[in-house]
Amino acid sequence: MVEAHGIRHTRRAASQTSAIQETLCSVASSRSTPEPGAPFEVTEDANGNPRYIYKDIDPVYDSDDSDAPNPGNTIGDIPLSFYDSYPHIGYDINGRKIMRPAKGAALDALLDSIEVPKGWTGLTDPATGKPLQLTEEELDVLKRLTRNEAPEDGYDPYPDMVEYFSGKLEQMPLSAAPEPKRRFIPSKHEAKRVMKIVKAIREGRIQPYRPPEDIEDEDFDVKRYDIWHDETPRADHVMNIPAPKLPPPGYEESYHPPPEYIPDEAELKAWLEQDEEDRERDFLPRDHGALRKTPGYERFVKDRFERSLDLYLAPRVRRSKLNIDPESLLPKLPSPEELRPFPSHVDAILRGHQGRVRSLAFHPRGEYIASGGDDGTVRVWYTPSGYQLWQARISDQDPVSAVQWRPGTDALVLSCAAGENVFLIAPKLPIFSPFSTLDDQVDPITASRDLLNAGWQARSSSPTPNASNGLTGATTKEATATWARPPLKLQAQGVLIQLTLKTAVKVISWHRRGDYFATVSPAGQSNSVAIHTLSKHMTQLPFRRLKGLAQSCQFHPTRPIFFVATQRMIRSYDLSRQELLKTLQPGARWISSFDVHPGGDNLIVGSYDKRLLWMDLDLSTRPYKTLRYHPRAIRAVRFHHGGYPLFADASDDGSLQIFHGKVVGDLMENASIVPLKVLRGHKVEGGLGVLDVDWHPQEPWCASAGADGTVRVWIP
Amino acid sequence: MDMNGEVEDNSRRVQVRFVTKLKPPLKVPPTSIAIPSNLTRLGLSTIVNNLLQAGDPDWKAEPFDFLIDGELVRMSLEKFLLAKGISAEKILEIEYIKAVAPRKEEEPSFHDDWVSAVDGSNPGFIVTGCYDGLARLWKAAGVCTHILEGHSDGVASVGVINPEGAESIVATASKDRTLRLWKLDGEEPVNNPIKIRAFKILRGHRGSVQSVAAQTSGDMICSGSWDCTINLWRTKDNTDGDLSIKKRKVNDHADESQLEGEAVSTLVGHTQCVSSVVWPQHETVYSASWDHSVRRWDVETSKDLSDIFCGKVLGCVDVGGEGSALIAAGGTSAPVFQFSSHASWVSACKWHNKSWFHLVSASYDGKVMLWDLRTAWPLAVIESHEDKVLCADWWRGDSVVSGGADSKLCISSGISAL
Repeated sequence: MVEAHGIRHTRRAASQTSAIQETLCSVASSRSTPEPGAPFEVTEDANGNPRYIYKDIDPVYDSDDSDAPNPGNTIGDIPLSFYDSYPHIGYDINGRKIMRPAKGAALDALLDSIEVPKGWTGLTDPATGKPLQLTEEELDVLKRLTRNEAPEDGYDPYPDMVEYFSGKLEQMPLSAAPEPKRRFIPSKHEAKRVMKIVKAIREGRIQPYRPPEDIEDEDFDVKRYDIWHDETPRADHVMNIPAPKLPPPGYEESYHPPPEYIPDEAELKAWLEQDEEDRERDFLPRDHGALRKTPGYERFVKDRFERSLDLYLAPRVRRSKLNIDPESLLPKLPSPEELRPFPSHVDAILRGHQGRVRSLAFHPRGEYIASGGDDGTVRVWYTPSGYQLWQARISDQDPVSAVQWRPGTDALVLSCAAGENVFLIAPKLPIFSPFSTLDDQVDPITASRDLLNAGWQARSSSPTPNASNGLTGATTKEATATWARPPLKLQAQGVLIQLTLKTAVKVISWHRRGDYFATVSPAGQSNSVAIHTLSKHMTQLPFRRLKGLAQSCQFHPTRPIFFVATQRMIRSYDLSRQELLKTLQPGARWISSFDVHPGGDNLIVGSYDKRLLWMDLDLSTRPYKTLRYHPRAIRAVRFHHGGYPLFADASDDGSLQIFHGKVVGDLMENASIVPLKVLRGHKVEGGLGVLDVDWHPQEPWCASAGADGTVRVWIP
Repeated sequence: MDMNGEVEDNSRRVQVRFVTKLKPPLKVPPTSIAIPSNLTRLGLSTIVNNLLQAGDPDWKAEPFDFLIDGELVRMSLEKFLLAKGISAEKILEIEYIKAVAPRKEEEPSFHDDWVSAVDGSNPGFIVTGCYDGLARLWKAAGVCTHILEGHSDGVASVGVINPEGAESIVATASKDRTLRLWKLDGEEPVNNPIKIRAFKILRGHRGSVQSVAAQTSGDMICSGSWDCTINLWRTKDNTDGDLSIKKRKVNDHADESQLEGEAVSTLVGHTQCVSSVVWPQHETVYSASWDHSVRRWDVETSKDLSDIFCGKVLGCVDVGGEGSALIAAGGTSAPVFQFSSHASWVSACKWHNKSWFHLVSASYDGKVMLWDLRTAWPLAVIESHEDKVLCADWWRGDSVVSGGADSKLCISSGISAL
């Protein structure tokens, strides 16, 4: 191999020398004809001048130096981009332009992409401008380099170490020389250096630590002080509570707690759902596996802050912690399910009224519902099926504001108020149940007519009514009220008496015996409350002057007591002794209605300021319970009068609420009130929802009159 | 069987054998097959229909209902077996019956007012009572043959007395406190319905009469009224001498001869309106009342033999089915079984007169429902009424007739309850 090398060198040297000689010869020779072997040919150009055409230079780069690049392009280090605007990319050794290789048409590119030649890289060789092709070995080397591997195959980066010098005592040591002495004696040089440092420390030239610099003190804007600077240890005393000590960290605070401390999904969910203050600990144990995987503690600042709070406050405030189950604070109310039956859903929707239904009433035996509405009609419906049995238009312009049946089952008398008029009606209805005091042969309707007409004779026989009947001795003036026969058209429908008062009547309330009824006309000043005697066709004004506007009135269910509600007060009067008994102050701003419990000792009061109040007459003049469950005004309240401990209220929000209200005979025990059911269904129209409510006299059914023109019957 | 191929294989399978009491064209081969356990009634019905089609190419698919151990399948088979604790290992016998559901809705027959009562016990006609005081006879949907005229107020209840071998008598109870009996002569109307008048007026109730029922032999009827009593009346006028026969002027018809009857006996005991009476056996009358009780009365002694109380007002009662089981409804309650699906007051309930299991009920929520004792869900809900349904009855064994507050009589036919 060495020999071959030498041969190649000599041959190149020989050819070089011969080329130089040739050149020299050609320069020296005349231009007539080149000698054979000259590097050019002489031809004639267009002007007849000689033209030298040089032969291609053979650079003779047949060196075995593989590192030397093959100089195809002679432009040197000039970037190839300089030639971007030219058709060529440089010059070859002969000075000819190297033309830019054709980029190929789109088809060529496609073909190229389909048949990828071997070693194709998709890159362009910057030197030649041709596609760069790499052999497999070159590619392999490149791949290894990118993977940070040794580019060669079989290179072992970690060869076994030959342990020439080790602590092992060789059987045959490399050197048999004994251990040098310096290994056994302390180094004098080191001792010298140490002494130098010791001396410097002693002299104070080297300080063991750097004195802290009070850089922060330079910030004079922030005032700092030590709040405990004058803290002196205090004697052990009850009122002197030391700062609480932090408990030592437990397993659950570890970055890698035992698995039993890691919460499972149920515990996790319970923890997340718990209120932050109720949590047993304020963090969740988490397993990070290794300390270096532990992230920053997100609650760090908060923890420090709370610890500081503890330190400030804990020694100074003794917190008495109340451990009371909130459930135990709630009154023990029976569940509504145990208090069945109560109305829970609508049974019949009675449609027919145009406009609002203002008032309704169940017949004392429960077969009929009478209702009166804005259209001036009074209608009577059959209870279970909701069939309209009878109707009469008693007024053309005034709405029917109140409808009441006469109590007692001996006759069928309906009273209703429209404007200033009160009508007493014996409607011609199909008779369902028998009327107890009647003989088989007597038609109950005839009996009702007789009852109503009896007063005409009574009045004609005693034209001047007895003044002493009046509660406050008020005499009945002729102008107070006129009892008259209604128009013939109404008479044919069974409307028998028209009683005209001075102002519009809003409430009718009957005495239980059915001979007296009271009317309330809030607009009337002194004659707002009037008591009428049916059998004598007589009207009395019990109050000369009433404080406040009268809203409603009612007779006591058993005793001769009369309740009158004004806007803010309810007064009860003893009718026999003619004196004021009690003044109740429910605390409502505007009472809309009230009802007396059948026992007579309790009242419910509904008010326009959204409150339902339960008053216990024996207990106090203030309400025993205030129930605020409605978002709108309460229009009507009503007790069940047939044995069920139920009461209901009707509100402008379009709902009724049914309550259980049990009055215990025992004086020591208060009434229990349980809200049972909200009955929804009435639509709110014009800001009004449910305007009246009444209970079936025996069954736990109730009926409601809505501003949407329907009457709804609710059953269990 | 190849029909199981389409169902995915991961579901569990049960070995079943389909049996039936139906007649041969509806019988499937009694081999046991494996079916996926997640099938419901619909899936089972498809399988049976496929099996039937395999035997008879021109078989028309029909819905079936399925019974396992005497209980209707109303959930997937898997759940059913789990709920009932039936082993899925052995071969399961599934009995199938024709599904009870109305297949045809007839044209409604219009009235002038609410239809309050309907009776379909005579296969020849339907009697309806209406709030306008008239009772009507219908031969078919929309074909009114007779108008029974005379009550001065709404008719609350109607009953047909079907004695063997004699002509039918219709009894009506009205809110005008009387009952009237009407004879049906055989003549057929040409165009307009014939108006007939009652041959007998039964007076004696002091309140509106709410319900009427006839003895099976047809000799007597009983009526329940708002006066809390039940009166028993004779229908035959010439059997006893104590009945007064008198001429009476009715609405200026001087020549009209009407008999008046008086009550034979009165059953007193209820404290509220007697809303419904039935007379299923010769000696026993059942009554339901608004005082929350159902009573059984002995006709001979006029004593009540048993009281059943429940917490609600009862609106209707019927006796039938296996061992004369009693059903009463009102509000939403029934003593033996409690079916609760109606959203409102149940106005009527009736047993099928042949089937032991089937009931029809009507409610103010506008629905008529068909029930089977063997399941707690209604078999079918008929929603042909737009308003409250006030009465319902079976007719001819395969139809349900119902009347409601929309003044319509609706007939749903094609119910194969047997």
